[in-house]
Amino acid sequence: MPISRNNQNDAAPPENSGTSRREILQAAAGGFGWLAAQAMMQQEATAASAATLANGTHHRAKAKAVIQIFCPGGMSQVDTFDHKPELVKREGKPFDADGKLQFFASKPGNCRPSFWRFRQHGESGLWMSDLFPELATCIDDMAFIYSMHSKSALHGPGCFMMNTGFTSPGFPSMGSWVTYGLGSESENLPAFVVLPDPAGLPPGGIINWGSGFLPAVYQATTLETTAGRQPIADLFPPSTVANMNRDADRADLDLLQQLNRKHLRERVGNTDLEARIAAYELAARLQLSAPEVADISGETANTVQSYGLDDQQTSAFGRQCLLARRLVERGVRFVQIYCGAENTTAKKIRPNWDSHEDLSRDHGHWGRVLDVGASALLKDLKARGLLEETLVMCTTEFGRQPAGQGAAAKGRDHNAGAFTAWMAGGGVKGGVGFGATDELGFKAVESPTYSYDLHATALHLLGIDHTKMTFYHNGIERRLTDVHGHLISEVMV
Amino acid sequence: MWAQTNPAPFLSDQVPENMDSAVSSRLALIFCFSTSVVYADGAIDFARDVAPIFEQHCVRCHSSLSSKGDLSLETFADLKDNEYVVAGEAEDSHLLQVLTGNQPQMPKAGRPLSPKEVDTIRRWINRGAEWPDDVFVREKSKADSSWWSLQPLSAENLQHTSDTTVDQFVQSKLSELGLQPTAEADRRTLVRRLYIDMIGLPPSPEVVATFVADPDPQAYENLVDQLLASPRFGERWARHWLDIAHYADTHGFERDKRRDNAWHYRDYVIRAFNDDKPFDHFLREQIAGDVIAPDDADVIVATGFLAAGPWDFVGQEETKSPELRRAARALDLDDMVTQVMTATVGMTVNCARCHDHKLDPILQREYYQLTAVFAGLKRADRDVSQQARKDHAAKKQTLENAISEVQVQIGQLEGKAIDLADIVGGGNGFGSGKKGLGIDARTGKTQERPFGDLGNVKPGDFRQCEHRFVDGVFVPANQRTQITSTELSANDLPANSGKAWDMIRNGPVSSQFSTKLGATDFNTAGHSMIGLHANAGITFDLQAIRSGWSDDDADEAAAFRFSTTAGYGGRTEEPSAEYYVLLDGELKASRKIGRNDADAIAFDILRAAKFLTLISTDGGDGYSHDQISFGDPRLARVVASHHTVERQQQLADLQQRQKQLAEELTQLGEPPVFFGVVAEPPPEVNVLVRGNPETPTVEVVQPGTLGWKKADVTFGDQQMDEGQRRLALANWITDEQNPLTARVIVNRLWHWHFGQGIVDTPSDFGYGGGQPSHPKLLDWLAAELIRSQWSLKHIHRLIVTSHAYRQSSEHSKRAAAIDSDNRLLWRMNVRRLEAEAVRDSVLAVTGKLNAEMFGPGYRDFDYQEAYAPIYTYKTANSPDLWRRSVYRFVVRTTPQQFLATLDCADPANFTPKRNVTTTAQQSLAMFNNDFMLKQSEYFAERLQRDAKTLEQQIDRAFQLAFSRPATEGERTAAGRLVNDQGLPHLCRVLLNANEFVYVD
Repeated sequence: MPISRNNQNDAAPPENSGTSRREILQAAAGGFGWLAAQAMMQQEATAASAATLANGTHHRAKAKAVIQIFCPGGMSQVDTFDHKPELVKREGKPFDADGKLQFFASKPGNCRPSFWRFRQHGESGLWMSDLFPELATCIDDMAFIYSMHSKSALHGPGCFMMNTGFTSPGFPSMGSWVTYGLGSESENLPAFVVLPDPAGLPPGGIINWGSGFLPAVYQATTLETTAGRQPIADLFPPSTVANMNRDADRADLDLLQQLNRKHLRERVGNTDLEARIAAYELAARLQLSAPEVADISGETANTVQSYGLDDQQTSAFGRQCLLARRLVERGVRFVQIYCGAENTTAKKIRPNWDSHEDLSRDHGHWGRVLDVGASALLKDLKARGLLEETLVMCTTEFGRQPAGQGAAAKGRDHNAGAFTAWMAGGGVKGGVGFGATDELGFKAVESPTYSYDLHATALHLLGIDHTKMTFYHNGIERRLTDVHGHLISEVMV
Repeated sequence: MWAQTNPAPFLSDQVPENMDSAVSSRLALIFCFSTSVVYADGAIDFARDVAPIFEQHCVRCHSSLSSKGDLSLETFADLKDNEYVVAGEAEDSHLLQVLTGNQPQMPKAGRPLSPKEVDTIRRWINRGAEWPDDVFVREKSKADSSWWSLQPLSAENLQHTSDTTVDQFVQSKLSELGLQPTAEADRRTLVRRLYIDMIGLPPSPEVVATFVADPDPQAYENLVDQLLASPRFGERWARHWLDIAHYADTHGFERDKRRDNAWHYRDYVIRAFNDDKPFDHFLREQIAGDVIAPDDADVIVATGFLAAGPWDFVGQEETKSPELRRAARALDLDDMVTQVMTATVGMTVNCARCHDHKLDPILQREYYQLTAVFAGLKRADRDVSQQARKDHAAKKQTLENAISEVQVQIGQLEGKAIDLADIVGGGNGFGSGKKGLGIDARTGKTQERPFGDLGNVKPGDFRQCEHRFVDGVFVPANQRTQITSTELSANDLPANSGKAWDMIRNGPVSSQFSTKLGATDFNTAGHSMIGLHANAGITFDLQAIRSGWSDDDADEAAAFRFSTTAGYGGRTEEPSAEYYVLLDGELKASRKIGRNDADAIAFDILRAAKFLTLISTDGGDGYSHDQISFGDPRLARVVASHHTVERQQQLADLQQRQKQLAEELTQLGEPPVFFGVVAEPPPEVNVLVRGNPETPTVEVVQPGTLGWKKADVTFGDQQMDEGQRRLALANWITDEQNPLTARVIVNRLWHWHFGQGIVDTPSDFGYGGGQPSHPKLLDWLAAELIRSQWSLKHIHRLIVTSHAYRQSSEHSKRAAAIDSDNRLLWRMNVRRLEAEAVRDSVLAVTGKLNAEMFGPGYRDFDYQEAYAPIYTYKTANSPDLWRRSVYRFVVRTTPQQFLATLDCADPANFTPKRNVTTTAQQSLAMFNNDFMLKQSEYFAERLQRDAKTLEQQIDRAFQLAFSRPATEGERTAAGRLVNDQGLPHLCRVLLNANEFVYVD
């Protein structure tokens, strides 16, 4: 559906019909961003205001784009980033001697030390387990928040909270908020792109990246990463439909826009109608840009290999990471990657990190997947000079228990009390850790922090004051951070 | 408060008959409550003079709920403990120091206190700083009970004024700004506008032509009436209401299970709008339909409203953690409370879950009072009504009886033996009985669950049985025991312990050690057994068993032969229990047996015989393990039936009939249920600190509602019946004195008709919401609604027959400069079709719309059972998937992408108004989606059927899609495309056009 500019005489600009600036801004909202719009209107009202920068951000941004890796299922902190020597000392001793605790699915078993050995790495000397040999080489670029906790130990509400700040469904995801605030950098690609795990949706489904009550213009576009599929839904007519080809598309679009422009001429000053004409043109540009971004044939063999694309175990996630880099390179504002799919009670291998019965098997698998893809992404971004302005964050919905689960203590149950998130690039100070859990890694005790602080900090790096970006919905000026959120200045440059 | 202005009508008219008097008198108190205290001049009263200053300036940060200020000014404790206030010594009090000076330290934000305010505090301290214990300083909400939406409808509006019109109000506002409404739109525009708006579908070219040519000056009004009477009207308007109810057909959350029975509620809404059910009834039924009409399925399903939202199966049912369950439950109740209150009275009560409402006069306690109204409810499948369950049971019984009858006849023809174990299981002897079912030897009643040692045993007490073929049961006594209803008795039974265990069963008794008697396991296919633990007896009614036999059998001389294997099911090898078999009281077989014994018993039964009795006794050594069993207890015909041709035919007919009946039974299925709410005794509800279920306060709240900080409106105490709580709330909401309910719904109708409400936040009539653009119009419409006995169709008619609605949408530069948002309606708004209307209109235009109403929703996805079920959408390309979008099976976690892209409501949210966005993804979906392309082909096929020449086809296409003929230029351009690419391409273009998806 390429654009047609053949009928210029039909496209006479509508007379200036008293359309308000508000209307123009609303119509253009997809590409413009609410903050800029606010700033513009404010300047109009009060002359230039010093409170906001020209592009509407509240302060100078360190990061232009975000790549968020989400590891659904609940990644264990004590087997990955949060070193707990005390667990080794207490191995096999009852975790909850009083028998008072009841976890999500079980009563606590005995203390179970990490399934992988921890070592110190880099100049910072921070600890990481042997599950992540490659990521360990990036440790001086990474900042760890050891004291994350969640309001729910259930996958659905937990995922919602980490993505939207609320445990209920229906709130806008962080990507939608960022898009709402900053608009799009790219004229040819959507501002917010999601790369779900090819195996399926995460717990709670598509609403994890939904725009909630924000207008659909801020919704994520799902980029299909399976080779051979259209990268974006309905990008082209399905191959099963007869009589559809690029020539026909062009002819159809020409007539459509001709009819639309005639229709508009009879309805001067209707910006919605204009916007819809423009949307067909953007769609046509997407038809060129989306296949281009999804086509990795131009990447070097080295790059392809570093992302693990030649290994069946790591290739799917590696491809997502590589695509994420290509997307931010082309001006996409927010990319979310899922490392794992919907939860199941499958016995062979879990399709995500939810390792109740065999952690060494499931974290073993997903750990390697994350290790290869994420480390390649960090190194690649850095080599291209993109890491400085790209914030990479990696989260999960909650952590796992320091106690073993099951008769042989091979698994771990859910733990909303503690988990680790990490950030890198985009104004993040590398090689630092923030907050701490107790001696066993059961609960965050030093600077415990919910999703709010993480979100507030990420928004800050993007130049947004999280308390000032709001949207009215059913009685409340809503925020990504609800009524909470403090900046974690310790992890920022 | 509104009730104070006129409490009398409420009391005389509105107290429902079924509400007990205690409740009604309490309500009377509530509605009359008022406080007015007169103070002596000059004295300082803390509550009156000082608290408001703290409320306004301090407690926002200085409260127990805020982390900003270390100190709390909610009570006196902190001020005193930290010596901020020294009673009688204002100048030594630190409080005064931080409030005064050139640059007072406090308040940190906002203006300093006025000298008068400072003086009040100074005087208060100097006079002893008295702070009564019961005064609690809370942050003041922005609005109080004087807020506009809480005022009664004005008296002038409640007066009937038959000559008032919508346009008087609209015109008067326009005139204030020197604006004029636009001229009436042309008829083609009007008919299209009205069709899309009222029924969500475009008019056919024939309808357009007829209307445009109609000479009747009342043509428009007639069209309005036609559309209001159309069944399509309810489908269109139900969709709007379902947005508010955030209805869907799955639970949502992690395990997004199906709700296969949710559709009953959706159908209720469609019917209610079509029938113009009075709106107050509509609301009452949705909140308490099961209480109002406990036998009326059509009303009970309305309560599907309360259950329509998401529900976390994992949090509510699956997890073992009580803490997680409490959290999920709190969200669940919050959803229910929020839905009811935002939908009906447009108040954002959910903002008061963690603290008093910051904007509106709603206390945190009141939020929990509302929670207490719903605290006894659980979302679940439930009977549509008790009557429906009874009807279903009766139908099922009739079918089962008929099947049993046929079984007997077949059994007889085939010469099958009658199985006495099946009879113990309630059957006819040919397999209609239930395995495991038992008869209580103490009572003759049927029991299913396992029993152990029985209490209250009365040996020798003969009890008749509910089974037709069983004469009675008994526990044998030590001497004479009655064994039949005709008072035959067994006189020689040995002494026993007088104890009994479990039931007489079709199968083993509970805890039976073995079902193997001799070499045969009688608890396997092809066998049966009667479990008869000592001490028990059962007598079969042979006459009744034989009564069903056909006449030709009466000639047979010897009727039956009885056979069975008597054995011991316990572990004890030593003989330790006796069995007895008696025919008409005469002993036929008996022995004391143990684990290794199994006696084959057989004897003939003559036609005259009436009773066959089986008894077990414990052998006088205690009854434990004495599990006497009768394997394959059969009554077989002595003479085999003749296999005549006639009989063969009869048999074949019966078998056919049996098959047919079995099918009917399958089709009857389970009793009709719908996804609604089931009631349990409500637990106590506490105010939760910051809304956290893990930090309850000790304050237990009573069921109640909002009193706007003027009154405490509770309905009853903890003892109050669950249903009565909801009924009380429903009555409070639909009370004519409630200023919100009527305003909120007429504004919603206005919003849906114009695309913009008089109040542009239809679910928020509080401080955070918008102000009415036409307050008097809003009040007049609300009053009209009440005057018309809450007829929504009356309001629809008033709105759509107004000039404001009928005017053209033509733009005016001058008017736009004054009122660019068209809040004052100087023209009609141009509006885009909602997602569902787009899809439905496409189907209507292509001729593929399937008009089937009601019932389970269409599923345009493949369903795959899994821990979290997988919903994979497919192209809707068959008639069953071409029903109107309101009948779509709505999946929460996996939205239908085509509709979602067109701003379809997300059922996770309450959606009082749809977003209208324009995106590239939308263009791609409309242009390339398989559904759209297939429909383009069907559209083309239709055109070829409807018209012969290309020119006519093009014209027809424009008529169908745009309700107008093509212009000369359009016809030429369209013709060129059709020649080059084919007719489906033109169809694709028209279905994508702005003119198709926008209405003038």
